[in-house]
Amino acid sequence: MSVPFKTAALMKELMARYYARGEECRRQGIPVAWVTAVFPVEIIYGMDLFPYYPENFGAVASARKIADKLSVAAERQGYFPDLCGYARCGIGDAYAVDHPAGNILPPDLLLCSNTQCGSLPKWFQAAGRFYNKPYFLWDAPFLESEVSDLSQNYLLQQLHELIDFLEVTTKRRLDFDRLREAVALSGEACRLWNDCLEMAALEPAPFGFFDACFHMAPIVTMRGTQAAVDYYRQLKAEIKERWAKKIYAIPNERYKVYFDHIPVWPRLRWFADLFAAHDTLVVASQYTHAWAMNFDPARPLETLAEQYPRQFVNRGFDYRIKLKIEFMTRYHCDGFVLFSNRSCKPNAFGLYDKNKVLTELTGLPGVVFEGDMSDLRFFPEPQVQTLLEIFFERLGSSRAISASALKKK
Amino acid sequence: MTIENYISRFAAAVDSPYTQARRCKAQGQKVIGWLLTDVPEELIHAAGAFPVGILGSHNNIRLADTHVQVWMCSLMRSSLEMGLAGELDFLDGVVIPHTCDTARMIGDIWRRNCRTPYVDSFLMPRQVNRRSAREYLIGELGRLKRQLEQRTGEMITAEKLHASIRLFNENRRLLRRMREIHAGHPGLLTSRQVYTVIKAAMYMDKAEHNRILRDLVRELEEKADEGAGVLPGTVRLVISGGVWEPPETMDLIDGAGGVVVGDDLHTGARYLGPDPDEDGDGLAALADRQLNKMPFCAHENGDYGRARFLIDLARRSQADGLLFLHLKFCEPENYDYHDLREALKAAAIPNFRLETEFTNPNLGQIRTRLEAFIEMIGRDSIERTF
Ligand code: SF4
Ligand code: SF4
Repeated sequence: MSVPFKTAALMKELMARYYARGEECRRQGIPVAWVTAVFPVEIIYGMDLFPYYPENFGAVASARKIADKLSVAAERQGYFPDLCGYARCGIGDAYAVDHPAGNILPPDLLLCSNTQCGSLPKWFQAAGRFYNKPYFLWDAPFLESEVSDLSQNYLLQQLHELIDFLEVTTKRRLDFDRLREAVALSGEACRLWNDCLEMAALEPAPFGFFDACFHMAPIVTMRGTQAAVDYYRQLKAEIKERWAKKIYAIPNERYKVYFDHIPVWPRLRWFADLFAAHDTLVVASQYTHAWAMNFDPARPLETLAEQYPRQFVNRGFDYRIKLKIEFMTRYHCDGFVLFSNRSCKPNAFGLYDKNKVLTELTGLPGVVFEGDMSDLRFFPEPQVQTLLEIFFERLGSSRAISASALKKK
Repeated sequence: MTIENYISRFAAAVDSPYTQARRCKAQGQKVIGWLLTDVPEELIHAAGAFPVGILGSHNNIRLADTHVQVWMCSLMRSSLEMGLAGELDFLDGVVIPHTCDTARMIGDIWRRNCRTPYVDSFLMPRQVNRRSAREYLIGELGRLKRQLEQRTGEMITAEKLHASIRLFNENRRLLRRMREIHAGHPGLLTSRQVYTVIKAAMYMDKAEHNRILRDLVRELEEKADEGAGVLPGTVRLVISGGVWEPPETMDLIDGAGGVVVGDDLHTGARYLGPDPDEDGDGLAALADRQLNKMPFCAHENGDYGRARFLIDLARRSQADGLLFLHLKFCEPENYDYHDLREALKAAAIPNFRLETEFTNPNLGQIRTRLEAFIEMIGRDSIERTF
């Protein structure tokens, strides 16, 4: 990360504009809709509302190392430190006196999907009561094996209910052309974003997971707009250019590893440096690949109802194992790191078994560490460092084995 | 027989929860377990199988620690422990309802590590107010029905389902009646006895449970008619939460001069819920029962919020206060707590939160805290009287 990305400056500008636009919408009376990260936001654009992502606020507050302080504000109200860190940031901000990471943008309505987890609905509902604004849940049945007509119809029917709800609460009409356009733009941004991620497979790579964590805000918060498409087009070009100029993600890449799942935001730098010091590049995570939707803008509602709930966040154990192995194969990984994130129960529960299965299937060295993505009170740094150092030592010895093991699969 | 005799039958079932299930299994009947909460037992029963609750255990947790983090709620951790330890090997299947993230993720862990031949995820809707929920739920119940038919080899006909619904409705009616009598005559049963009878219904054969319960209720009615068991001065409590664990909590409440007169627990009033229609389409009836249940932590009920519900419940039960009994690491309860607490405060209903676990509870501490709370509201209600 020595030579800064030119796009990084653009990102700052883009995000500043996004936040400013939010404030402006509030002033102009354009409704602010809270949405979750894996939610069909395209409909919001079709209604000409402003989507705001409280999870993004949580990540930003966490990266600024104030999640613990916001959490304490929530804890004083009877919320407990066992809850998801993003939720504690959002709830804490509502009660906090100081706002070093800026204020969360208050909603006019709250739209939530439980594709990702059950924390979001609880958080959004609590926020709906706090701000006294209407709440809507897009309920996504878990996808354990095959997609059923039953759940597909349910998801689609709920999109119609969502549109009715929006039309009634905001007194606006859904513009289908705008919707189709947003779906197309969203799909295009997803493609470009994934092209960027793919370049981590190059050896040595010009782009890695920690870079991706920095550059992912637009795919989360601006998916469905031209701005996101432009941003990732530029980023892609820049990564290519850096590759041509031999500017790599880390100075001496010797190993590539897979990382599951969200980074430890307040220690992003620490992790990046630690891995770089061991000539190891983190190349992929299911987390940054969560926006891999392949939309068909000709059938906008159907495609939204199909694509969002089929992302890994709403999938069972076997699918996730398959996905992880695919990443390890495609990115030529030498090992894997699994983060048992006490904030994110749906991704943490099952990780011990996944560790075992991945070891058996790939023969690669792996490690599980415990911690919290937001709150440093729950991040035992010395233990994590020791575990990772042991892991780095195991990396060298296994390359030959791993290649053959992966082929066998 | 005396009340104590009847109660001892139920207590025996709770002390040795799988004796009856194992006996059924030995006689060739299929046994299908279910995890908390909201699995439609009637379907299992109508398929000729014996439904039995897997409701956690108090034994030390060892095996589960290599599969799940210690910050998973002890209800699921200890249930998984039983599965891993082979204590549930008699099961022909288990149905896991998708209530929260923990329940949603435990299915695959169970499937992979426990010797249960069939693990079904009951994907109930997490919203109940929109039209889509009912249609979807009827479909999902249909899916579960077909799975159960396949697993048991028995068709669930309309007659069988109606018969099961009638049997379960009778059970619910009797349980409700018992609670009603107890609420007016708390001296007739201890709080723990009341809840033991409910929990026993999750382990025992329903027909047998009904038989004993019918006699118990008759006995209670007689005593109540004589005016027995009215305990003036007892502090009346409503409990809100998931499960009444550890069970000693109930003894400690009574010991401190309290009595439990209402709740929204999975192993309490939520299990009683509304009765499905006894004729007409069985699946639709089960769906309507589910959708019309009291609000709880795992999913929203936009039309009738939980705060409103708890206030109504406390008033209807003439409660002096409300006890939140939360399992450590239960996220859904945690998220609701602040708003419920504030709403109760605004309604002048004293309340208090106790966080417990299944294993190694600190009973001394629970006692002290309960005593302090009950003494406080006892004093308050006396002051209010004068
Ligand atoms: S971090 Fe996990 S628990 Fe928290 S909002 Fe995201 S998916 Fe949900
Ligand atoms: S609702 Fe709470 S107690 Fe029930 S399984 Fe989920 S976390 Fe555990």
